[in-house]
Amino acid sequence: MLWMLSCIPALSLGTGPTDLEEQVRVIAAELRCPVCQNLSVADSPSELAQQMRAIIDSQLREGKSPEQVRAYFVSKYGEWVLLSPTPRGFSLLLWILPYIALAGGILFVIFIVRRWVQNRPKGRPSEADPDLIQRVRRELATETAWDVAIDVEGPQGTLMRERARLYTELRELEFDFQAGRLSKLDYEEMRHGYEAQATAILKDLDALPPATPPQLAAKIAPEGRENGQLPSSVNVVPRRVWIFAAIAIFLLIFGVTLGIFLGKSLRLRTSPEDSITGDFLTGTGNESRPSPPEIEGTDIGALLNRGRAAFEQKQWPQAIEAFKKVLSMEANHPDAHAYMGLILAGAGHVDSAMLAFNRALTSDPNHALALWGSGMVLFRQKDDANGARQNLKKLLTLLPPGAHKEQIRKTLLEMGKGEGKGEIKQTKKTADHRIQGVITIDPKLQATHQGGGILFIIARRAATQGGPPLAVKRIASPTFPLSYSLSKENMMIPGSSFAGRVNIVVRLDKDGDPLTRGAGDIIGNYHKNPVEIGSQNVDIVLNEGGQ
Amino acid sequence: MAWRRLGITLLVILSLLGILAYGFSRDPRYIPTPLIGSPAPNFTLTLFNGKTLKLEDLRGKAVFLNIWASWCPPCREEARELEVAWQNLKEKDTVFLGVNIQDTKQDAQDFIKQFGITYPNGRDPSGRIAVDYGVWGIPETFFIDPQGRITYKHVGTLGWPIIHSKLDEARRRVVSAKEGKGSYQPIR
Repeated sequence: MLWMLSCIPALSLGTGPTDLEEQVRVIAAELRCPVCQNLSVADSPSELAQQMRAIIDSQLREGKSPEQVRAYFVSKYGEWVLLSPTPRGFSLLLWILPYIALAGGILFVIFIVRRWVQNRPKGRPSEADPDLIQRVRRELATETAWDVAIDVEGPQGTLMRERARLYTELRELEFDFQAGRLSKLDYEEMRHGYEAQATAILKDLDALPPATPPQLAAKIAPEGRENGQLPSSVNVVPRRVWIFAAIAIFLLIFGVTLGIFLGKSLRLRTSPEDSITGDFLTGTGNESRPSPPEIEGTDIGALLNRGRAAFEQKQWPQAIEAFKKVLSMEANHPDAHAYMGLILAGAGHVDSAMLAFNRALTSDPNHALALWGSGMVLFRQKDDANGARQNLKKLLTLLPPGAHKEQIRKTLLEMGKGEGKGEIKQTKKTADHRIQGVITIDPKLQATHQGGGILFIIARRAATQGGPPLAVKRIASPTFPLSYSLSKENMMIPGSSFAGRVNIVVRLDKDGDPLTRGAGDIIGNYHKNPVEIGSQNVDIVLNEGGQ
Repeated sequence: MAWRRLGITLLVILSLLGILAYGFSRDPRYIPTPLIGSPAPNFTLTLFNGKTLKLEDLRGKAVFLNIWASWCPPCREEARELEVAWQNLKEKDTVFLGVNIQDTKQDAQDFIKQFGITYPNGRDPSGRIAVDYGVWGIPETFFIDPQGRITYKHVGTLGWPIIHSKLDEARRRVVSAKEGKGSYQPIR
């Protein structure tokens, strides 16, 4: 029997490729795509989902049962991967919670209805003392019992307020009946109910000792009494106030919380697959957004604008796609080539970037962006100062006076200085524009270092005194020995040259504030300061301070 | 009576706010791994230098298995740090191994050249290794002890302190209680 059962998947596979495809689709539909938002592996167009479908297919071909295939994915991604988790353990709660909520709701409704029914006037006239009913009617007519001493404490005050409430109800009932809003049957039933309750109150009141004169001294006359209206607010309003206050507090807190959380955790969707959640609170920044969808449209101007906007927002895939689309329509568009060059240069593809700039300049020899981009790549990454100067000087003649022109002048000046000091030659000599080494801590100070703190690795130009450092690297909660490297990316002033001789100082800052030097900070200087940028084995020992 | 009512009201409000806060503070993309403490799935990787490498051949050494792609910004962010770590640790019974996924061969080779990566790297064109390791956000790094058991997983960028301490734990066969998280890029 078991053998027969185990043959079922294999037999079902043997009936043809369509069945296999269907089986793959069924299993894929039960699996959640790990990189999509609430899409099954069957529905997702993602590369990972395609690979997962291929794995399902190959496992079924190997003769594995659908359960085994599902178990494989669960063993890799956990129960999370199942769109319908198995009702076991914590997942069982997901299955039974709706039923618990439903049962709770039904119980709540029953409770409310029962309470409502209990609060309805009840009792028949026959059950009440006829004398007391007469007294209720008399007091109702004479209005003697409507004065309520609000400061009467204890059971007497409570009963008096309840009596006033019942008399109010009776008066309103009478009014409603006279106005034709109630049938005679209902009117009588309700009146008997209220009267019965009032007689019970009167009985209780009579059983209590009379209120002392001071307690009754501060009686108030109800508002609108001259008009025959009753002090309905005496008992009912405080309760309503509570309800309104609770609702108001809830709405206020809910609104404020929602405002804070939504503001902090939502972001704009960049694509239909993107999630609106997951930013500040979840720690996934812009870089975790998936690639944007293919850009549609054939208007070159609009595509260029879209590309530029994406470029400025550093959404590289979107920018690349837009510029590629422009180039597919107009192969020699200088703007698209220039922007592609900037993106490629930023990603470190120097030769491809130069190719793109040259294409832009072939189409338009005076293209400012391409001149700027190729100039900067030649200067910073190709160490070709002459070529860079040629491009930037040409750009200088094309630009109107302004901040851009000034910046280019400064760059040209910097090139001159760099050549004068032989900096460019030095960068050519060194394989890498980095300083590397290992930081250790003096064993004597090791005890004072309890972990935590922020380590600052600071490089200052050897020739300068004071002013901002050339480069700083910040490492939180370092553990020693610590291997470090200081490069162009750690520069304080982007764009300036990361070359020459520098003094390297490291500081383990207890409070993490780079501007203050506390008593507990530990400092270390490189013993051969100053050092050439590009040097290796710049090993530093933290050995000063720490008291 | 009034205090009781106030208490119940506050309890209801705070419970709702608690649920709201929990919902907003969790990363909807995050998938906790069931693999920590389990044997590392075996694979054979064709390296970029043409040689093949089997994970099981690395038994006896702590393995730092990094899964990456050239288009992933956090992978670029950590690339130099990983190479520095490799240079410091390669003598200490440790193997660094890179698995490139969802990428073209050319882009992957350009990446390796750009960041001067010297430890062994290979491609996973079918995505089988990625799925075997439950990969969903890169870089993803698995620390494997000398017996071939996963001791720690880190989603996102990691620095020297974590690399050093978790490899030390892997060498001592210490299994971490939970995985780590840095800045990551969901795979495609």
